[in-house]
Amino acid sequence: MIEDITAIAAWAGLALFVGGAVWDLIAAIGMNRLPDFLSRLHAATIGVIGGAFYPLIGISLILLGTDIMGEYRYIAAGSAALTAFLVLLLAPAGSHALARAARKKGLYRKDILVIDQQEGGETE
Amino acid sequence: MSGVRKVASAVALLAIVAVLSLGAAAGGMGPFFDGIRALGTFYLSTAPPQIAELVLGPSYRGLSSYSPEVVTSIVWDYRGLDTYFETAVFFLAIIGAVAIYRGIEEPVLRRPASGLSPIVRAVTKFLIPINIAVAASIALHGHLTPGGGFQAGAALAVAPVIVIVVFSRRYLLERGVTKLKALFLRSVGLIGIALVVLIPVIWSVLSGEWAWVMQNQWKPGAEVFSYPAYLGGALISGSIWFLNLFEFLAVSFGFTILFLLISIDEDTVRSCMIRGGEECDRY
Repeated sequence: MIEDITAIAAWAGLALFVGGAVWDLIAAIGMNRLPDFLSRLHAATIGVIGGAFYPLIGISLILLGTDIMGEYRYIAAGSAALTAFLVLLLAPAGSHALARAARKKGLYRKDILVIDQQEGGETE
Repeated sequence: MSGVRKVASAVALLAIVAVLSLGAAAGGMGPFFDGIRALGTFYLSTAPPQIAELVLGPSYRGLSSYSPEVVTSIVWDYRGLDTYFETAVFFLAIIGAVAIYRGIEEPVLRRPASGLSPIVRAVTKFLIPINIAVAASIALHGHLTPGGGFQAGAALAVAPVIVIVVFSRRYLLERGVTKLKALFLRSVGLIGIALVVLIPVIWSVLSGEWAWVMQNQWKPGAEVFSYPAYLGGALISGSIWFLNLFEFLAVSFGFTILFLLISIDEDTVRSCMIRGGEECDRY
């Protein structure tokens, strides 16, 4: 029973880890191909959440599900989970601050903007 | 500076360099090792006490720094004087910045400081305690895990930067983080480092026994003086723990001073530097 759970955790962690690479690829394509600052910011956030948060959770699960580092795996798993939590907290706050600054200075393409819910913006 | 003084200071500098080189050439730096690898093996096998005991036998304590973190033990014990002067250079730079900005105060704005959006402010308020805790753990564990005083100070100095950017400079000043307080705590840290370095010498003068500057554990030839390697059963590696603690204090508040100074409005600084005058020359 315990072996099944740890095996599931390890495989789920591996899937998250590999998925992180895919998210990073998507984010990189988006950074290059999307037209303006706000949409590129969206791609960058995908890179952080998909390419950093999920792999860190995956590392944590892999470490908990296998015994590749002996006793030290608990320390490493805890560090990875804590880092993932901080990334989850920081990345949205940072991209929010950047988006707000770009909106204030008008550093975006108004012709492709769909909705603007800030004060003074045109809601559509 | 007049021409005579320039020549005199140049001669003094050259004389210091010549005397130090002469001392090193005459064997004043102790025996040199045959190649880098032997030196590395020596450090790796003597720094942690357990391995030193295995490799060197009962005489191990004279060559060990009692710190399992080899990098920290090299930085603060084996080449401690080098780090001591590195710290001096860093604080000369800070003193230079403080001297350039002397007497320049930002006029207090009447409108309330708003800072960034509530989301960013809430996240920042949540993160500052985590930042301080991580920095303190880097400093206080510096003799056991990678890190140390300088790295911890740099980590803690992130907190005032974030507060200045997200809230405002005034927010930091209103909460009591002022230039004078930071200067005081930085000085406490520096005096602490100097004391830890000089205590063996003071002890040597008082007791008449031999001890080295910046000695940590007893050394061959100076076997009476030794900082305690354990405190209440916990390994503190003698002077390394205290040096890390004081360096942490000095570096974090040194950086805080710099960030408080460079966040002053540029026009204020420029007009003060160009005009001078009474209101810009208070300190």
